[in-house]
Amino acid sequence: MWQQIRINKRNSLLLLMGMGTVLASLGFLIGAAIGGVEAGWIGILVASGIWLIMMLTSYFGGDQILLASSRAVAVTPDVHPQLFNIVEEMKIAAGLPKLPKIYIINDPAPNAFATGRNPENASVAVTAGLLARLNRDELQGVIAHEVSHIVHRDILFVTLAGVMLGTIVLISQLFLRGMFYSSLSGRRYSSRNSRDGGAQAILMLVAIVLAILAPIFAYLLYFALSRRREYLADAGAVRLTRYPEGLASALEKIAGTNINMESANKVTAPMYIANPFRGKKAAVNLYSTHPPIEERIRILRNMSHGAALADYEQSYESVTRKKGMIPGSALNDESVEIRAASADKRPVSESRQKREMGDLMRKVNGFSFLACPCGIKMKIPPNFPSGQIQCPRCSRVHTVDKGKIKTSA
Amino acid sequence: MGPMLILLMFLVILTIVLVAAVIGIYNALVRLRNQVDNAWSQIDVQLKRRHDLIPNLVETAKGYMTHERETFETITEARSRAMGAHSVSEAAKAESALTGALSKFMLVVENYPELKANQNFLALQETLTSTENKIAFARQAYNDQVLFYNNKIQMFPSNIIAGMFSFTKRDFFEIEDAAERNVPKVSFS
Amino acid sequence: MDCAVCHNPMITLELDDVETDYCLSCRGIWLDEGELEQLLGDTQRALDLLGSFTAADNCTEELRRCPICGKKMEKVFVGPPAGQVLIDRCKKAHGLWFDRGELEAVLHLGRFDSEGKIPKLLGQFFKNPETKGNPAPS
Repeated sequence: MWQQIRINKRNSLLLLMGMGTVLASLGFLIGAAIGGVEAGWIGILVASGIWLIMMLTSYFGGDQILLASSRAVAVTPDVHPQLFNIVEEMKIAAGLPKLPKIYIINDPAPNAFATGRNPENASVAVTAGLLARLNRDELQGVIAHEVSHIVHRDILFVTLAGVMLGTIVLISQLFLRGMFYSSLSGRRYSSRNSRDGGAQAILMLVAIVLAILAPIFAYLLYFALSRRREYLADAGAVRLTRYPEGLASALEKIAGTNINMESANKVTAPMYIANPFRGKKAAVNLYSTHPPIEERIRILRNMSHGAALADYEQSYESVTRKKGMIPGSALNDESVEIRAASADKRPVSESRQKREMGDLMRKVNGFSFLACPCGIKMKIPPNFPSGQIQCPRCSRVHTVDKGKIKTSA
Repeated sequence: MGPMLILLMFLVILTIVLVAAVIGIYNALVRLRNQVDNAWSQIDVQLKRRHDLIPNLVETAKGYMTHERETFETITEARSRAMGAHSVSEAAKAESALTGALSKFMLVVENYPELKANQNFLALQETLTSTENKIAFARQAYNDQVLFYNNKIQMFPSNIIAGMFSFTKRDFFEIEDAAERNVPKVSFS
Repeated sequence: MDCAVCHNPMITLELDDVETDYCLSCRGIWLDEGELEQLLGDTQRALDLLGSFTAADNCTEELRRCPICGKKMEKVFVGPPAGQVLIDRCKKAHGLWFDRGELEAVLHLGRFDSEGKIPKLLGQFFKNPETKGNPAPS
């Protein structure tokens, strides 16, 4: 585990440096193409300046930006006690220094993600659709996967790499558009210095090619690594819960629902446990942010000997027929036994799920719940004007206990 | 510069390097030992939470489960024995008996559909399930820490520092084994 | 969600796994898309009733707005020409609005027995006409 974190940190740093190099050379070439070599240095400076500002913003506020853009609401334990229990269980299993902040997203599509800077400042967000569909073991599997992302320090990496990717795309777009418009308005830049016009033309050509290729190159690096991280987080989740079937069956349920997430976008997509976009039959191309979910399920179901990282590695190799991806030093682990399933095996009907989801969102949005002794349940919105309510069925008068269930946000 | 001076400087540098290394390893060992202690206290916290939970659980279930007096007695007895335990092995044995009594209780509950429909009981049941899980996960985390710490104090060069400042090996926490053999498992090297 | 008639916040009622939105002031009822179908069940009588929706074009009753999308709803007749009930339907199919007593009348049309789900939930609303809904806000 410890070695794996170290290697993961190093890889993150390498990737960030690699992306930084791409960014810097892009800045240099664009600068040089426009105004010669001196301008190239200015290009590097400008590119690094933009990069630095975006990095600092995302380091200190990236998680808040991501959570807000996903419409996640911070909740207190009384909204969903089981979710809090499970997060705390995984916090203990993983030895996190602090309980991650817990958010619920009002979206019927089942999904989850983790974000934050480090294990001390981490957040976990799950959708209402996920909570309504999964049983205890399955939810534990998903939370363990997210906690593994936190332990592996993937959360900071995803935020930073996402910002860097955004910056590279932005700069290339600006340059290419600028090129397009300036060529329309009489090629002001290229003919200014006629002495080394030839060299400048070549530089310009290289810059254009790089501006087109850099985002693709950055995408490839980013997505290749985020795919590998999903496998690693699956392996980590099994090691924490000692129960591969929980996560496998959760992934199966997630794959079985074909609802697009309305609250996800292109930048946040790689954070989620499963790809939030299902529109097209997603081919496993270089662009896909997640490994095929069926393959992840098969790897998990194929683990019969134990729940150690080495067992996942072995199963991964036999299912994908590829070389394993867990760093060697992390595999010198003691043997870990798989535990038995827990008792919670409630079969839940579609309509009941829908109602539970509705109730959950009502709790998140501050509704109060009243159970009348005549058997009727009343769900009262926070903007209900009166402090008292009469049961429409048996005429009993109840006091509305406002603010009993509140969100912390 | 005479050869004596060079030798002296060499010795000074060597001493500084050695002292720095000793300090570094010592601090790493202390940090690991604290992590082990911290993991141990996590188990303790969860066991206490389970003790606090039981009276409430028994009180709620009693009204529905009129024919299960024996089950309740076993649980209450195991709880008081666990709370009054004086040694680690005694506690481990009592806690393991308590775990057994509670899991038997959970099986019996399945025969009382009315109890299972009680919202208050359902909340208690979830808390109990979670507490049992937390105990298991805390034990798991503790054992992982102990393994790492024990490996460290046995490996060169940290074993020298560990010997100098008497860092000793820690025992694994194995509830089942302890119940059978009366002593916590000790790892041999 | 606010009532389509008097715009007070509505409360949600749940009984035996059936959920409806209810206005305590005017005692109107809102059923989400598909909820009526789900509640009536899959019997032939239910299908007949659901198939009997006809547009009421030249109707003078005030148009109401859908509590979900806020767009004006259309008036539809339910049931055979003798003893039709006029209800409101969202044009975007968000659901159905029943004024006080209308849902009971619709259920009466289909002759659903009193053990059915909605009658059980709502039966007493209409049996206790003296029920004055929600005490006036102070």
